[in-house]
Amino acid sequence: MFPLLRFVQWLNDTPVSVYLRESDWPFPIIETVHILGLGFSVGTVMWLDLRLLKIAMREAPVADVVEQLEPWAIRGFVVMFISGILLVLAEPLKCYNTVAFRIKVGLLILAGLNVLYFHKRVIHNMDQWDRDMPWRAKMVAALSLVLWLGIVIAGRWTAYF
Amino acid sequence: MTFGKILPSWFFTLCESTWPGSWFKHSQWLFAIDETFHIMALGMLIGTLVIVDLRLLGFGMRRQSAAQLATYLRPWTLLGIASMILTGVPLFMSEAVHLSGSSPFLFKMIFLFCAVALHFTLHTKAIASSRGQSSGLDKLAASLSLMCWLGVALAGRAIAFL
Repeated sequence: MFPLLRFVQWLNDTPVSVYLRESDWPFPIIETVHILGLGFSVGTVMWLDLRLLKIAMREAPVADVVEQLEPWAIRGFVVMFISGILLVLAEPLKCYNTVAFRIKVGLLILAGLNVLYFHKRVIHNMDQWDRDMPWRAKMVAALSLVLWLGIVIAGRWTAYF
Repeated sequence: MTFGKILPSWFFTLCESTWPGSWFKHSQWLFAIDETFHIMALGMLIGTLVIVDLRLLGFGMRRQSAAQLATYLRPWTLLGIASMILTGVPLFMSEAVHLSGSSPFLFKMIFLFCAVALHFTLHTKAIASSRGQSSGLDKLAASLSLMCWLGVALAGRAIAFL
């Protein structure tokens, strides 16, 4: 048997997992927190991306939008990540076996690499981006929008299967 | 308290048996796809509200004024509200009879009504009169707005569980 599957099965039988799965209130409460975190992080990331693509908030300087929205996107992401771990902990085997969830994890890793690339290779002289937006910034933004859209869809569909 | 106690039961059966309710009721895919769009519209809407309301509370994009942010984002907020309602109506119609007995659904509609009413009254007024630093009115409008939308989201989620 795969070591990962063995780990997932062990996790599925831990008292914490059983408790989260079988009692009435924890799951809906954690799920609600997860969605609120989503509102803050995807809600702000999306506007940051739309600004980089020059679709929304065109009048605001790019650097202002990136620097002022990113901290909120990170805060929202932390809330979403912690609550997300708890949701997986409630149903480890179900998540392991769901294709939508596997896709979601893959997309999350790609979204993380995309942010890393943006910070390591793309963010230079942001004050000049108002005149001339580098194509790499636009590419990162478009990719981020597509990835997060996919993550939300795969997340919602994890619950259907 | 539920809608079933306010409106006659034939209204809910009618919703479920006519298009698009009947259509969505019998197609799991259509329902799931529409719900996905509903959540995407929510993400977009919440994003614009969070940015403007945080600014009214004195956080977030402080280098811009609340009035500036509201001007940039207003068309998107309206688009968000419109697409939420547009994608939400078929979801309601397909489950009208079930929802007529759901109290979270009634609360969701009350919060939604308050949130939209607030958006076009106190919220607009606070933004128009905001002067850089956040005044008492700004804070009141922003916290009421955030609470109403939070209520919409929480009650909406509760429909699935209660």
